[in-house]
Amino acid sequence: MKRRLPLAICFIMGLVMIVQFFIPHPTSLAFSSVIYKWIIVLMAFALVLAIGNLIRHHGEKIRRRKEDWPYSIVTLAGMVAMAAIGLTWGIASDSLYQKIFLNVMAPLGGTMFALLAYYMASAAYRAFRARSLEATLLLVSAFIVMIGFMPFGQYLHPRFPAFAEWIMTVPNMASQRGILLGVAFGSIATALKIILGIERSWLGGKD
Amino acid sequence: MKWYDRIATIDRRIIYVLLTVLVILPFFVKVTIPQKIMPQTQKLFDFIESIPPNDRAVMISFDYSPQTQPECHPMAKALLKHCFARDIPVIGLSFDPEAPGLAVDALVSVEREIDSLATRKEDSIVYGVDYVYLGWKSGRIAAQLDMGEAIAGVFPRDYYGNLIDSLPLMQNVKNYKDIAIVVILAAADYPIDWIRYPQTRYGVKVAAGLTAVMAPQYYPFLQTGQVSGLMSGMKGAAEYEKLVLEHGYACALGTAETGMNSQSMIHLLIMLFIILGNVGYFFARRAGKAPR
Amino acid sequence: MSGDPWIWIGAVLTLMIFSFLYKDNPFYKFGEHLFVGVANGYYIVYYWHNALKPNLFEPLSAGQFLYVVPLLLGLLYFTRFIPRISWLVRIPIGFTIGWGAGLSIPAYFQADVLRQLEGTVVTPATFSNTLHGIYAVIILIGVACTLIYFYFSREHKGVLGSASKLGIMFIMIGFGASFGYTVMARVSLLIGRIQFLLGPWLGLID
Repeated sequence: MKRRLPLAICFIMGLVMIVQFFIPHPTSLAFSSVIYKWIIVLMAFALVLAIGNLIRHHGEKIRRRKEDWPYSIVTLAGMVAMAAIGLTWGIASDSLYQKIFLNVMAPLGGTMFALLAYYMASAAYRAFRARSLEATLLLVSAFIVMIGFMPFGQYLHPRFPAFAEWIMTVPNMASQRGILLGVAFGSIATALKIILGIERSWLGGKD
Repeated sequence: MKWYDRIATIDRRIIYVLLTVLVILPFFVKVTIPQKIMPQTQKLFDFIESIPPNDRAVMISFDYSPQTQPECHPMAKALLKHCFARDIPVIGLSFDPEAPGLAVDALVSVEREIDSLATRKEDSIVYGVDYVYLGWKSGRIAAQLDMGEAIAGVFPRDYYGNLIDSLPLMQNVKNYKDIAIVVILAAADYPIDWIRYPQTRYGVKVAAGLTAVMAPQYYPFLQTGQVSGLMSGMKGAAEYEKLVLEHGYACALGTAETGMNSQSMIHLLIMLFIILGNVGYFFARRAGKAPR
Repeated sequence: MSGDPWIWIGAVLTLMIFSFLYKDNPFYKFGEHLFVGVANGYYIVYYWHNALKPNLFEPLSAGQFLYVVPLLLGLLYFTRFIPRISWLVRIPIGFTIGWGAGLSIPAYFQADVLRQLEGTVVTPATFSNTLHGIYAVIILIGVACTLIYFYFSREHKGVLGSASKLGIMFIMIGFGASFGYTVMARVSLLIGRIQFLLGPWLGLID
């Protein structure tokens, strides 16, 4: 029961969705539309669950006075404050909620990613070595793209930007497509295994 | 320590300082290097140009977060200016939960900019008539598919809580039949879902404005025509800004164009450091010090 | 320099995060934790305003009782916190996973397999422009060799080995191009923050 029922639901849903794809009849479309609306709600609940996990994680850290626990208070306080502001005073374009988003959340998130520019420069300098033919190809291709797509590329040679574009549209595209096809075959196989109950790792737990 | 060891082990702090200086410097030394427009950016611009005014809408899916704002935000603003200047209705929506704040910022700031320049009432932008922002929705793929039947079924209310049916623009935009193209501005693999699901099912035209990290993966879709145009990173944004300016749809360039000089400087710096590292490695290897 | 307190908040928080470049420190940790908190608070508001309220509770209160099904299924997610009945969480997961898997099979097949193979096929018509014809052949070889490189069911020897070697070369060119683009992306993000500090905060640039 604990495993069979969820597996049966998964099987039925999978089968139904494959079949409905090939039958664009109004009844089939109306049925799919109901399911889509349910999925929208279910996904929202799943996201709320993620918030629940976050609260539990930081609550536990504070309760057990784990390392850096005072920062967990910052997280929880920030979360409660932001949620309360948005739910109480609304989310209009001139609201306090939007102001906090633009002046607190955006600078913090933006700068965290901006740090990557420094690490990437440092790592590229240290690790990017033409040790083999493959590594040299990678290096040369990266240089062509980095020069070709910058405004100064055209001064090196008028055809340089076109050459960089060729790298993107021919060899890069071929390898990307190869990877894409490989991933697609893998995804289709995994989806089939899930529907047929061969792949069951999503059940988790032992019983 | 030999010279080749020294050039291969420069302190990271020196790299950091040089990087910072070379990002800042170009802002004070005004040099404008003409941009070459990439074919895929031109393709998107031409597609928007081909849409008749006050006809089918352009749907813009704002799916980028503050982390990638410098790349995607200028794209959004340039695209909005283009659509508004050509009287093309815009329907905005988001599936990334961090995106709505930026979407509202882009829409409202472009609206204010156009309104401040408008000499006649009909030139100003009116919410609900010229554009609508539907807001965020969970269950991305389900929502995208269900909009093929009825947008109002997925978004009964817009971002601000208005009933969709009460907005004049939404009287003419019911589902994908009324949408000329969906342009996804994203920092994650959102456009591929639009291609796999609504495009396969309803034949929706899809274009994208992506962070440069994402762009190379979309070339296979460009070649097959599944993607009808693409802006790649800050460069793509700068190109679109330039096209919009050249066609008289804007009075000034946006933030992407001004950042391109810094971008060029940093590319040169990073390449220089990679070359230094390799020269050091090459000579160290010749001296039998570095592993092959 | 700006007189707007909001700009100052943004600038101080930006500098707090940048301080990590020196080393990990309490200012960075504060900023990092504040971001996680504020971001999740931000999401909660949308989960309510943009999803649960208009797509569940309003239809329910309008008498659309079919919405009881997703409500109950959704509530089952929270049985995860009750050990005795925690297995019930598998029901909504099974529902969504089965739905997603079923939907993805025809979609992947059409968008990722058929259309991509269609774009790879070389026909005599491809050679109406000789240069494009040559490029199409290169693409065909590249796609085939990349796929062969990822084919692990047979040992890569002989023809398969050579094709796989060619495949890795195509992959490396692709990765190099991706690296070039990644540099562009990361630098753009730094430029964005510097633009903010120099412009709205310090007022040194427009």
